[in-house]
Amino acid sequence: MSDDDRLLADLGAAVRRAQEVPPEFLATARASYAWRTVDADLAALTYDSAAEPATTRAPAAGPRALTFASADLVVELEVGPDGCQGQLVPPGPGRIEVHTAGGEVSVVEVDDVGYFAIRPVPAGWFRLRCRPAGGGTEVVTSWVVG
Amino acid sequence: MRDDPTVIALVQRANDGDAAAWDELVERYAPLVWSICRRYRLDRPDADDVGQGVWLRLVEQLPLLRDPAALPGWLATTTARECLRVRRTGQRRQVHEKPLDETVASGQSPVLEQELLAAERDAALRTAFAALPEQCRRLLSLLIADPPVPYADISASLGMAVGSIGPSRARCLDALRRSPQLSALSDRGGVR
Repeated sequence: MSDDDRLLADLGAAVRRAQEVPPEFLATARASYAWRTVDADLAALTYDSAAEPATTRAPAAGPRALTFASADLVVELEVGPDGCQGQLVPPGPGRIEVHTAGGEVSVVEVDDVGYFAIRPVPAGWFRLRCRPAGGGTEVVTSWVVG
Repeated sequence: MRDDPTVIALVQRANDGDAAAWDELVERYAPLVWSICRRYRLDRPDADDVGQGVWLRLVEQLPLLRDPAALPGWLATTTARECLRVRRTGQRRQVHEKPLDETVASGQSPVLEQELLAAERDAALRTAFAALPEQCRRLLSLLIADPPVPYADISASLGMAVGSIGPSRARCLDALRRSPQLSALSDRGGVR
């Protein structure tokens, strides 16, 4: 096989591998850009009990625990079979919008000690947008899936 | 292509709000994300779930990517981690499962490294190909068709004498080989 034959074969393989990607898979990827957020701080996922290596994790022990942290706010979230419970730190009242990647939005109230509940667990990928009652910078969490 | 200036520019433009740059990143790297999902033998719904999460995460991480040139590696590792998560969730539902390659999630897997190198080479080839003159693109497209197109048909469809297909093929492949994208790769031994 000459160098030309090999290059042509490589090109063919490269083009075919791109063609194998289903159009909807591409469309979802393109559409994700609409979720670009410039008006809120990101609370990044800093802990996920489900992401711990299987060897160090007790099998299916209790609800999944997630922690998100921005510079000013920590969001603790427990994902159980019937719903999520959460806690804002520092504690304080406000509202939380639950955004799903499918475009659905629901609102839950955060009580005076920073507790909130979401029922049922949102379907598919979702994130929380936290609006403190006293105003101030809004915080969005990383995307997670329930 | 980890130091590919094109990728760095695309990440920066996408972070500045340029949706066309985002689409180009998707074009470039969706095959990588897809191929890793295939490696994990995910079914379509699971692969869609992983893909969605990877791209949503990338959108949120754009402002935080300290080293945009490391994007392909970030995508590969994030995809592998999500594939593992999906398969673990599946394992809880199903009794029969194949063992998982846990090393993948740490980015240490030779399989993942292979996918990454192949994806970078593929992306370079496709980008270089797209930059060729139209006549070359049409000829090479016919030459890589599967099943192969007979020279007589290529001749008819391009209005080119059969005898000049060989020399044109050599000229177009030479142009492809000398493109900046492929030269950068072959310097590192990525392409012959």
